[in-house]
Amino acid sequence: MTSGTAFSGDDPRQLLSSARELTRQVRRTQRATWFPLLVLAAVTFAAIPFRNSPHRLGTCAATGSARVCTAYPPALLVYWPTALVLAYAVIAAFYIRQSQARGVGTRVRPYVVAGIILALAMTGSLLWTLYHPLAFTLAGPGLFPALHSYPFAIGLALVVLSWGERNEALLALALGYLAVVLVTATVGSVSGHTGLGYPVQLVIPGSVLLLGGIGFLLAQRPGRRAA
Amino acid sequence: MTSHPANGLDDIVHQRVRLGILTIAHEARRVEFSYLRDTLGLTAGNLSQHLGVLETAGLVAIEKGYAGKRARTWVSLTKAGQTALEDEIAQLKLLINRIEPTPSL
Repeated sequence: MTSGTAFSGDDPRQLLSSARELTRQVRRTQRATWFPLLVLAAVTFAAIPFRNSPHRLGTCAATGSARVCTAYPPALLVYWPTALVLAYAVIAAFYIRQSQARGVGTRVRPYVVAGIILALAMTGSLLWTLYHPLAFTLAGPGLFPALHSYPFAIGLALVVLSWGERNEALLALALGYLAVVLVTATVGSVSGHTGLGYPVQLVIPGSVLLLGGIGFLLAQRPGRRAA
Repeated sequence: MTSHPANGLDDIVHQRVRLGILTIAHEARRVEFSYLRDTLGLTAGNLSQHLGVLETAGLVAIEKGYAGKRARTWVSLTKAGQTALEDEIAQLKLLINRIEPTPSL
């Protein structure tokens, strides 16, 4: 099979233009953006039931005139890092398999490493905010809990993937996703993490990942890659 | 007097197929022989000749192996190849700047 990339002429402009087109073609061949988005959407939706665990980790402390308590379901502290590490392992395996099949190397390593580090760091950080007195002043409603969430860690890792894949569309999606995470988490924390608060914090970002994954799947179908 | 940019071109790299091989290997990090052959529209024999020139010059590394029962040949850029590619692109841009007409004020 010949993909038909024009690579002819010794004119410097033609040579440079052909080199740029070859670069774009290799990047299109390397991408499988839809796969991590769909896997992470599934991981996000699957986290919803774990919130209903009856047990809570955390403690209470006096901050000035108020008494502040922190609480977090331990099941989520086990679920998120485990599910994310497994998800990134599956994503890495998929990219390597695709790399073997298509005959080009993969740029997924920085994404997988960043994703795993962020997932583990988020777990350590959450434990710190649950028990350390210094964190109690930050634990109320606002931006801090939003930045301190696993969906936010997923978004940061997607920014790394967009850099690795040189994928501007994915960068736009990742930044939009991070904005959605911040808005939904802030609204959720104002409503006190009860009732619909937590599911909404996961359903909306998970839906963004799902729709993004479907969009990239349609755009990156083999028949369209050469287009 | 500054030398003409054409004098800085490396004859090994300044050849459209070999520049294509280096460009693909740079972007892909590691590329399979058949991908190069199909993308550049070459015969296997022609591609092997060009790869031989680049390998002898130390610009690419060639690694043979198996994926299951299928023999595969992987090509990757060496550090010298990376430098040669960057130099070639820089020289091409300089040449283009030389031959582009300067807009009159």
